[in-house]
Amino acid sequence: MPGIDLDGLRREGLAHIEQAGNLEELARARAELLGRKGRLTTELRGLKDVSAEERPALGAGLNTLREELEAAFEARKDQLTAAADAAVIAGADLTLPAVAPVRPGGLHPLPSIIEEICDIFRGLGFSRADGPDVELDYYNFTALNFPDDHPARDIQDTFYIDGKRLLRTQTSPVQVRVMERHAPPLAVVIPGRVYRNEAVDASHAAEFFQIEGLYVDKDVSLVDLRATVREFIDRLYGAGTEIRFRPHFFPFTEPSVEVDMGCFVCKGEGCNVCGRTGWIEIMGAGMVHPNVFKAAGYDPDAYTGFAFGLGIDRIAMLRYGIDDIRLLYENDLRFLQQFRGVR
Amino acid sequence: MKISLNWLSDYVSWSGTPEQLAEKLTLAGLNVEGVERIEMTFPDVVVGEVLTCERHPDADKLSVTTVFDGEETRQVVCGAPNVRAGLKVLLARTGAVLPGDFKIKKSKIRGVESHGMICSASELRLSAESDGIMELETDRPAGTPADELYGYRDVVLDIEVTPNRPDWLCHYGVAREVAALEGTLLDAPVVWSPGKNATEKPEISVEIDSFADCPRYTAHLARGVKVGPAPLWMRQRLQAVGMRPISNVVDITNYVLLELGQPLHAFDRDRLNGKKIVVRRARAGESLRTLDGADRALSVDDLVIADAQGAVALAGVMGGASSEVGPETQDVLLESAAFAPGLVRVTSRRLQLISESSYRFERGADWDGVELGARRALALLQEHAGARISNAVVDRRDPDRMEHDPVSLRVEQVNRLLGTALTAPAVIDSLQSLGFKCQPLGQASDRDSRHGKIMVSVPGFRRDVLQEVDLIEEVARLHGFEHGAEDHRFRSRASVETRAEDVAVAALRRVLASLGYHEVVTSSFLGREALDRLGLPADDPRQETLAILDPHHGGETLLRTTALPGLLDVARRNLNADRIPPFRLFQYGREFLPAGRRRDDVRHEDERLLPEEPHVLQFAVVGDTGAAYGSLPASLMEAKALAQDLADAIRVPLSLEAADSQPFLRSGQQWRLRAADGREVGWVGALAPAVQRAFDLDVPIVVGSWNLADTDLTPTPARYEPFSRYPAAKRDLSLVVPDGVSYAAIDAVLREHGGPLLQSWELFDHFRGGSLPAGTASLGIRLQFQSAKGSLKGKAVEMAVDAVRSRLEGDLGVTIRA
Repeated sequence: MPGIDLDGLRREGLAHIEQAGNLEELARARAELLGRKGRLTTELRGLKDVSAEERPALGAGLNTLREELEAAFEARKDQLTAAADAAVIAGADLTLPAVAPVRPGGLHPLPSIIEEICDIFRGLGFSRADGPDVELDYYNFTALNFPDDHPARDIQDTFYIDGKRLLRTQTSPVQVRVMERHAPPLAVVIPGRVYRNEAVDASHAAEFFQIEGLYVDKDVSLVDLRATVREFIDRLYGAGTEIRFRPHFFPFTEPSVEVDMGCFVCKGEGCNVCGRTGWIEIMGAGMVHPNVFKAAGYDPDAYTGFAFGLGIDRIAMLRYGIDDIRLLYENDLRFLQQFRGVR
Repeated sequence: MKISLNWLSDYVSWSGTPEQLAEKLTLAGLNVEGVERIEMTFPDVVVGEVLTCERHPDADKLSVTTVFDGEETRQVVCGAPNVRAGLKVLLARTGAVLPGDFKIKKSKIRGVESHGMICSASELRLSAESDGIMELETDRPAGTPADELYGYRDVVLDIEVTPNRPDWLCHYGVAREVAALEGTLLDAPVVWSPGKNATEKPEISVEIDSFADCPRYTAHLARGVKVGPAPLWMRQRLQAVGMRPISNVVDITNYVLLELGQPLHAFDRDRLNGKKIVVRRARAGESLRTLDGADRALSVDDLVIADAQGAVALAGVMGGASSEVGPETQDVLLESAAFAPGLVRVTSRRLQLISESSYRFERGADWDGVELGARRALALLQEHAGARISNAVVDRRDPDRMEHDPVSLRVEQVNRLLGTALTAPAVIDSLQSLGFKCQPLGQASDRDSRHGKIMVSVPGFRRDVLQEVDLIEEVARLHGFEHGAEDHRFRSRASVETRAEDVAVAALRRVLASLGYHEVVTSSFLGREALDRLGLPADDPRQETLAILDPHHGGETLLRTTALPGLLDVARRNLNADRIPPFRLFQYGREFLPAGRRRDDVRHEDERLLPEEPHVLQFAVVGDTGAAYGSLPASLMEAKALAQDLADAIRVPLSLEAADSQPFLRSGQQWRLRAADGREVGWVGALAPAVQRAFDLDVPIVVGSWNLADTDLTPTPARYEPFSRYPAAKRDLSLVVPDGVSYAAIDAVLREHGGPLLQSWELFDHFRGGSLPAGTASLGIRLQFQSAKGSLKGKAVEMAVDAVRSRLEGDLGVTIRA
């Protein structure tokens, strides 16, 4: 069809593309040429009116032109996009503070340490048990071989509710509860809150957390206790941490010991953290007293076992260098945020 | 318990430094908490001889003396009234530094030069007070250093003594332990013994009402005592272990208490009425002025020592003022006795009167040590107070008292419990070194083996040893705990299942932290006013609380029936500490509901008295986070999402039901949480404005609480369901919904009438106002259709959409704009 000036159309189209200064202008130019009502589209549609002889050549010419223009559009689009990006990047300050709808919170160190320790003991074959905070005098003292009206009861200043009920002073009463409900052999750890009726200061809280452990089987010996403590300390504080067993007294275990760990601050030289002894007291332990087995309905001639208890607050304070136990219960976010991401 | 090593060395010797001894004792169970070096020395203080003594020319009360100090004669001005020529005195030369950093310099006193100072006993801290200078009665020549006469060097160990070992509350008991550890011998202290022909009749008789209260009481008479200061060495030892010297008689009783552990009491015989001492319970209404000057009202639970007129001492706790030994005392009646530990403890606690004596008696006295203690004190009274000891000994004791039963010990059990391989002789050696007497049983061939049996007689000072395991502990103490652990193999013995709640909580804590919540740990205690602030009605079960008796912790006294006030307090404290809201908190803890369900799994009848202890997970969004759906706080909808997300995170079904259930939450802005079994397990909502004000919070707060203990936390098992991979068709509906038609109603219509192709829908737009008619809201809902069998035809989708449209319009009165 002589009416179509393919070259003119090409020149005009390429000029339009070249002149488009931004992506919107380019899109408009593309619509004018290649859109549904664009010039080239209209010409292509008009081919049906062209004679059969002319049609193939003209059709081929138009299609080639269309492909050429499409390519030119894409090229120009890449150019303009890159320019636009460059403009954006040039104005951006990536050092601005991050923005998000919410920022992560954090976990409190005490429950986190409880979980960590329970996990360590799970690895040693201990499961986890639980008991009430409000306890009977019977479970907290009598069943644990504390004689009535004996100074052993003074070790722990007790919050009484009445003659029979009190707030547990230790997690040990759960030992008896677990044994009453489960036949030996057993291995459990029991975390929980305990209470002492004493004045609160930097190193004494009226409420704090302990973890109790109990292991009962045939022929369990002090060697099993020592090996378990050794393994636990290695996993919590790192292999090779020095420990020692020191005889002590708890009514519900015999022999009873306190476990000391070599001071990690001064390495035994003596410092404020260890009270200049080179040792840090970390847990109480011992072989379950036969009277406790009897109270729980176990035969003390058939079974032996060990028990231990450790204070969670003390572990947190030593680990994080916290010098006042009250900080753990104030819940000041300036304190808590320092443990964000700690597990 | 403070132990003087000078004192200890009277009975036992040991090798090594004080620190090494402390370490050995610590590892044997006598935890040494401190090693203190005491050094009382007086450099540049010497014996001086007063050669001349004249009145000071310008001062009536001063004297000008010349004193020979062994090297030269010094002029010294002295203010003491008793200074005179011929005295031997203690002279501090110029340059001496007396206790209290008192420096002696050359000085001019009222125009007269003084080259030193003549010292009083108090200036050298040798006594608390003194009249005038010390007058020495010594043969030592002038120039002898004061240290040689009065210096004191000692090392004092501060030992933590556990309540089962009253025998360690004295020097002799610790010496016994040192001898056992060191393998050395123990020397006995010097004691008085009655003359051969003791025919004297006792002047005073003793009557014991009940041997249960007082199994043994001895009384001795020491006549003609000269009350004065105790010898210097005794005073210095007492001071070294923290006891104030008073007088020779009183100091001797204290000395024996700290030496042998036997509490003694000295009565002034002439101030006792009548000739009979009665040990009895106090009578109702009886009272006693004790040595500390306090008037004590007594009860029938108190044991007293009485004379003809009434109580003269609180048995085992403290003596009475009326019969106290004083400077005029001539004859001393010395009491040495054993009292029932429980009785002493009750009196001491009720009167809040803890004495050295009560501390020992409540831990258990050694009945056999009663006479030894008395005789030791009598020897000291004889020597240091000039006493004449009566041969008439009164010793009343329970005639039916059983000897302590011997305890049998299986060597096999020793090894079984300790994981050792000890033989019978090794076990016997350990026990005998601690004062136990051992008799091996069975054949001679068994006696050396690891299977023998030993009968062990327990000495009187070891009343804590009642059964086999008590002896095994003694063996363990001496042998240490260091053997065998390295070869240990672990056996897994987990017979108790880990609770689903522990697993769930571990996951929930992490989800909460990642969603911006900070974990807090709050007190189990609560004040009554906190419950008032919540505005709970009188019949709310949370009004029934448990209270603690006699609190000393300085905090609240009720056990919390709701953990919410604790969380609100944390919010307020952080706001007051300039924390900028919004921030988010959570806690996991217990509540204590005495009104709650009684436990059924009881082993002990009294367990039914224990409160229900629900474990709750609580959270709070503190502060304004903007609005949602026009009129609702965004934090409220965040909390709703959180409750659902938490339940999803642990695969536990939990539904929220819009309903007012909590008085402290805003009406119309709260939900009830329901577990799969229909049980109500918590709530979520906006804190009511009045409650917010009552808790002194100046920002809005949204809170939620989920009782995990009441929720079945077994996770719903995951199971794969096939999904369609064909393209989905989306259609948006724009609805104008009159107030009163809830989204839940629209949701229900879509669920029921959407047809099988409607896969899901979501609310993507919500607004009120603008061009909308009043009382309506516009909701944009995007529907998504999909088939498992193939791509959907437009027509099928339109038919499904039309079905939904007509239902929404017809059933709910909703107008559909597009």
